Amino acid sequence: MGAVLQNLINKPYEHGFVTDIESDVAPKGLNEDTIRLISSKKNEPEWLLDFRLKAYQKWLTMEEPEWSNVRYPKIDFQAISYYSSPKPKKKLASMDEVDPELLRTFEKLGVPMSERAALAGVAVDVIFDSVSVATTYKKKLAEVGIIFGSFTEAVHSHPDLIKKYLGSVVPVGDNYYAALNSAVFTDGSFCYIPKGVKCPMDLSTYFRINTEESGQFERTLIIAEEGSSVSYLEGCTAPRFDTNQLHAAVVELVAMDNADIKYSTVQNWYAGDENGIGGIYNFVTKRGLAKGKNSRISWTQVETGSAITWKYPSCVLQGDNSVGEFYSVAVTNNYQQADTGTKMIHIGKNTRSTIVSKGISAGHSNNSYRGLVRIAPTAAGARNFSQCDSMLIGDLCSASTFPYIQTRNNSAKVEHEASTSKIGEDQLFYFAQRGIGSEEAVSMIINGFCKDVFQQLPMEFAVEATNLLGLKLEGSVG
Amino acid sequence: MSVGADSKSLKNLLQGQSQLSASPLDRVNQLRTNAVNQVNILNLPTKHDEDWRFTDISPLTKISFQPVREASPLKNSDVEHFYLTEAVTRLVFIDGIYAPHLSTQIAEPFKKSGVVVSSLAAASSENLAAIESHLGYHTELQDNIFAALNTSFLHEGALIIVPRNISVETPIHLLFIATQKEVSSHPRCLLIAEPNSRVTVIEDYVTLREETYITNTVAEFALADSAHVDHVRIQRDSKEAFHIANCSVSLAQKSNYQSVSIAFGARISRYNLNVLLKGEGAECTADGLALISNRQLADTHACIDHIKPHCTSHQLHKCIIDDAAHAVFNGKIIVRPDAQLTNSTQSNRNLLLTSKARIDTKPQLEIFADDVKCAHGATIGQLDNEEIFYLKSRGLSEVTARDLLTYAFGAEVIERIPVASLKLRLEQVVHKQTQRD
Amino acid sequence: MIYQDSKTLLKIRGLCATVNNSEILKGIDLTIKSGEIHAIMGTNGSGKSTLAKVLAGHTSYEITGGTVDFEGKNLFDLAPEERARAGIFLGFQYPIEIPGVANNQFLRLAFNTAQVQQNKDELDPLEFDDLVREKMKLLEMNPDFLDRSVNENFSGGEKKRNEILQMSLLDPKIAILDETDSGLDIDALRIVSNGVNQLANKDNATILVTHYQRMLNYIVPDYVHVMDSGRIVKTGGKELALDLEKHGYDWVNIEKTAAVGA
Repeated sequence: MGAVLQNLINKPYEHGFVTDIESDVAPKGLNEDTIRLISSKKNEPEWLLDFRLKAYQKWLTMEEPEWSNVRYPKIDFQAISYYSSPKPKKKLASMDEVDPELLRTFEKLGVPMSERAALAGVAVDVIFDSVSVATTYKKKLAEVGIIFGSFTEAVHSHPDLIKKYLGSVVPVGDNYYAALNSAVFTDGSFCYIPKGVKCPMDLSTYFRINTEESGQFERTLIIAEEGSSVSYLEGCTAPRFDTNQLHAAVVELVAMDNADIKYSTVQNWYAGDENGIGGIYNFVTKRGLAKGKNSRISWTQVETGSAITWKYPSCVLQGDNSVGEFYSVAVTNNYQQADTGTKMIHIGKNTRSTIVSKGISAGHSNNSYRGLVRIAPTAAGARNFSQCDSMLIGDLCSASTFPYIQTRNNSAKVEHEASTSKIGEDQLFYFAQRGIGSEEAVSMIINGFCKDVFQQLPMEFAVEATNLLGLKLEGSVG
Repeated sequence: MSVGADSKSLKNLLQGQSQLSASPLDRVNQLRTNAVNQVNILNLPTKHDEDWRFTDISPLTKISFQPVREASPLKNSDVEHFYLTEAVTRLVFIDGIYAPHLSTQIAEPFKKSGVVVSSLAAASSENLAAIESHLGYHTELQDNIFAALNTSFLHEGALIIVPRNISVETPIHLLFIATQKEVSSHPRCLLIAEPNSRVTVIEDYVTLREETYITNTVAEFALADSAHVDHVRIQRDSKEAFHIANCSVSLAQKSNYQSVSIAFGARISRYNLNVLLKGEGAECTADGLALISNRQLADTHACIDHIKPHCTSHQLHKCIIDDAAHAVFNGKIIVRPDAQLTNSTQSNRNLLLTSKARIDTKPQLEIFADDVKCAHGATIGQLDNEEIFYLKSRGLSEVTARDLLTYAFGAEVIERIPVASLKLRLEQVVHKQTQRD
Repeated sequence: MIYQDSKTLLKIRGLCATVNNSEILKGIDLTIKSGEIHAIMGTNGSGKSTLAKVLAGHTSYEITGGTVDFEGKNLFDLAPEERARAGIFLGFQYPIEIPGVANNQFLRLAFNTAQVQQNKDELDPLEFDDLVREKMKLLEMNPDFLDRSVNENFSGGEKKRNEILQMSLLDPKIAILDETDSGLDIDALRIVSNGVNQLANKDNATILVTHYQRMLNYIVPDYVHVMDSGRIVKTGGKELALDLEKHGYDWVNIEKTAAVGA
């Protein structure tokens, strides 16, 4: 089976190409002047510059975290350019006006967004490097009062909302990378769902890192007012580079009484080559505050890319009866390293959380689940269920599980289960005996293994996720 | 905790070390010197150390502990209630000092066949080679200040050697009795089970007075090919005491280590169990129960390290936490690249009896081989309402039903102790502690 | 049933195979023609299950000698999945569990792979559902089977029925049923045997690998072969199975020894 699996797991990266769009790149290095430059480029109000500077001061006092199960050479934060944007062009009213070069890029990605957006009724806020290029369906959303657009735009159009919620879930000094992001973030998405509104379509953003050595610092903020609901999709692919690229995004979600936010991610950034050269460093802080009673925050992620993934989408369950969910598939191959999981912080009464994590390791990779379930003394009747399964393909990779469970309330119930499995030779033989080749068999077993997570994804994302896993783990059979 | 406080308390803990007389065993003297160096390099752990994150041992630094100068003069009648009927062979240590008049020799036929049960200091010359090749080799002193401290005071201790193909039928009782206030003792055990041998060892920590003292133990168990060892560890120290323990177990091919560890006592206790499955086909079971109340803290750190293929390990650790007590469990299973066909399970179940009780648990898996079966689980919760209802439907009162189920929760681990009289005695303790008033 | 104008499906000559360097098959000669039902009997360790797995192409076994001709082709040139697609079906003694993969999904993929092989149309999920439910009735299987993971938490009898269901869907040229009767109660044995009988026709062949005679009460073999220590030591008609039942396997060995002595 060894040889077969080796072939299956070594399919080359298909999205490795660079789009030739002129970029406006800030000089390398980070200091107060860099931050002032970013802020002035974006015509930001004074309070936002203050927010950035405060974060920067905080960042200077912090140390890069070393507790995770990932190893990489020290990052030279002065060797990174903190701002790049396509040369300013006039605002576009429709897809036809978008740079054809950009459209071709999306086509190569297998994301024919114009068609896809129309077919699936998805509004796509395109982030190309750091600045929004085109936004569709905005009008339709505006009809029901939903604000969905670039973060920069929202700073100008809805300063009060940004001011109120920015940093309210992830404080500037929360962790090293969150502080860095707060200081230098360039753009991202902002989404506001008014009271009682059920968002009529999935909101979607495709992220792409394009300019070599440009750190990417997106900032996303989603507010769901009382009784509203939204499903947000984030998908990523990246071109191939030999130098490592840092990505440190911050995502903040706030759900009020009876509000429901579902946040789904498919991540397929460049993971480095088969020798572990290059690839994205993905250090992300994602956190949702289930602030209101009966609110719900659900994270679903399919992580297949990046050289290093360091990511713990979390839920702070503050409102009574609020619900937090985390569904994750993380696939690592070659020399990829992933240390990912979640934190469920139970504060309100009768809060409930579910964690389903599926890790698949192949090649020389290292895949860790790290999670925290904390039941505060106030969280009477809290419930958590966690299921963390690992699958190893080949004997050079590793899988680890690091769950932390801290309980301070005796009426809480916490259950954690973890197991590991492999794709057995006998399983492959059984498939073969029914005429099914090993490539298809592996794909079927893996998709079966991840079923509980894929079920949580919106339809078209589920298909994309299945393809991604195929791309990642299948190839020409020897 | 400041660095100043550390060094001060360390000086306290090392007090009297320099007055130790040189051991006739070179190995012992050499180990002591290394250990003292380690103690001088290391700091007392604080909550900033990942391994001590939930266990604050700063109270330890507030008391000045003295080494025991003189053993309490105890008679059999003072302590015989601790004796176990099955365990005809017994080594008794009072505040860490060997008490030959309370101890009993191994039966003559076993002695003839080479079984050794004695104080380490009294080891005869024919056992030197075995001691030289095992003592101190199974315990890592790096980053382990308590093991280093114990080794600094290495002097007496329990030595058990079971030669090849010998099966010792009756259990061996190692009884450590605390009698004095504000003293430190550093009990040491070394068990060498030669190929295809078999023995049951009870490591038993008891007290005559509810005082503050520190017991800091190190046990080393070396199991050769196909050896079988049953290890029962009972910690029923004073509820004011500190109990720190390190136990390292090394398993050769097809050897089998079965252990049950019970923690009732101590204000703060910490048990580090490290099992290395070094030979193919080795098996290990490591079960535990912590039953604590008031402001007790019981911390168990177990690391089961699978190095070779075809090994099996199973662990069930339970905690019953009453009042404002705090239990900590950290269970790590490592499966090394070579350890294919490992079968390992770990389960941690916790029962919080009050709203002030607290549990921090971290069951971990680190897997580097693909053809393995590993599973772990942790649960925290209360008694099952269905079970309570069932018992009530049979006429039991709510309180009785709860007591019964709490007792049953703990008894599941006690049940696994292979010594009947001890089992009975511990069942009574659990029974008493799980009755609400 | 033996037919006059039948064609040879499988021709095994001098087949030798080892596992972990220990020799299990020591020269097997066997010819299977269309329409025939063969029973291969023998004690545990006689090599009969190995023969079944070797024919299906299990990677744990190394072929050290002999030839196997399948419809004019060298069987050893075909990968396991190619053998399956060419019409060799192995009913496993211990069907493996595949958690997460739904039975209906698996059955449909296997079925459609075979359809494509035979230049027939693939069935969509709805069409396939109708077909599979029809087949399941034959085997008195609960439709719940379809939604469960392949063999996961199936009882022994359920697993064996699932094997025969697959056989009925794939319509193989040669079905090798390895200890299909083991673990079946009397009702299940009858149902499974009926299934096998209904599938047998003049164009295909069945090889029953079994320790006991009891399945042969339901499926009547044309030939019975007795294996011992990696060889076929005796071949006869269906009455040979009854003799074995009556006298035990030692009887064959005694006969064999006597024959060698003579």
